[in-house]
Amino acid sequence: MSECERVQETMGRWLDGEMPLGEGESLRAHVTHCAECGEAQRRLEKMQLALKSVLVVEPPAIEFQPFWQAVERRIQEKRSWHEDWFDWARGLFTAPRIAWAVPLAIGLLLVLFSADGWRFGSSRGSFASVESIDAYGRSVALLRENESKTTVIWLYQDQEDENEAADDSAKTAPAF
Amino acid sequence: MRLLTTLRKQLRLFSLILILAAGWVDAAEKTPQSVQVTIRTILAENKGDEFDPKLKGMEQQLKPLKYRSYRSLKDEGQIVPWQGTKSFEIPGGRSLTVAPQDFQNNRIALKVRLTERDKPVIDTTVTIPNKGNFILGGPPHEGGTLVLSISASAQ
Repeated sequence: MSECERVQETMGRWLDGEMPLGEGESLRAHVTHCAECGEAQRRLEKMQLALKSVLVVEPPAIEFQPFWQAVERRIQEKRSWHEDWFDWARGLFTAPRIAWAVPLAIGLLLVLFSADGWRFGSSRGSFASVESIDAYGRSVALLRENESKTTVIWLYQDQEDENEAADDSAKTAPAF
Repeated sequence: MRLLTTLRKQLRLFSLILILAAGWVDAAEKTPQSVQVTIRTILAENKGDEFDPKLKGMEQQLKPLKYRSYRSLKDEGQIVPWQGTKSFEIPGGRSLTVAPQDFQNNRIALKVRLTERDKPVIDTTVTIPNKGNFILGGPPHEGGTLVLSISASAQ
C-alpha cells in the first residue's frame, strides 16, 4: 500500500479529529506536499460540509411560557353554567343513569295516558259538552264549531211564545 | 349481586317518582272553593253591520251564528261558591241561574236554568273547560235575538 493510499484511507478519522496528535501531524505534512491527497482532503471536507447542512438542523425555538400561562388560566377560570349543564346532560346518557331513565319515561307516559283527557281524546278537553238538556217542549239545536271550539245551544221559540211576544218580530231561528 | 343491588336502588327511585307524579295529578284535581261565572249578553240582529268592539275576542265564536250585527248589552260576573247558586238578570224579564256541579280534569260542570217571567225556558247541564265558555242563544229581544256567553273559571 502506497503512502497516498494509506493517507486517504485514514483521512476521514483525521478530519473528524479522531487521530492521535503525532499521527495527525505527519498526515498533515503529507497532505501539504501531495497534490492528489490535498485534492482528496478538499473533496472530503466539502462533502462533510454538505452533510452537516442537511443533517444538523437547529431545532425551532419553542415558547413554553404562553403555553403554561394558558394552562394556568384554564385551571383558574370559572366554568360557565352551560358547560356544567352540558356535562351533567352527557352524564345522563351513561349506562347507569339511562337504566332508570327508561322506566321513568314509561311511568310518565302511563300517568299521562291514565288522565281522563287522553282516554277521551283531545277534542273532549277543548269543547264544552252538554250533559243534559230540558227545554220544556221547545225545540233545541246543538252546534259544535270546530274552528273556535265553541258549543252553542240554540232555542227555537214555539208558536205560543211567539204569540206572547207578538211585538218581537225577531228572527228566532238560528242562522247557522 | 352488584346488578341486583343497582336494580333495587333504581326500583326504589322509580317508585318514589311514580308516587310524586300520582300526588301531583291528585293535587291538580282538588275541588275549587268557588267559581267565577261571567255572563255576557249580546243582541244579535240582521239590521246594519255593526260589530260591537267590546266583543272583539268573540268574533270567531259568533261567526257561525251568521247574524249581521252583534251588540253587547250587558256583562255580569259573580263569584259562585262551590255547590252554590247565583242568579243573573237577563234583559227582557229573564233570569239565568248558574250552579257549579262538578270539577274534573280541569273541566267545570255547570247547571244552568233560564227563566222568563218566572217560567222555565231551559234547564241544562254543560261541562266546559276551566276558563272556557259556551253559548246559549235564541230568545227574542227588541227585534233581535239574545245570545248569552256563559263562562266559568275555577278559583
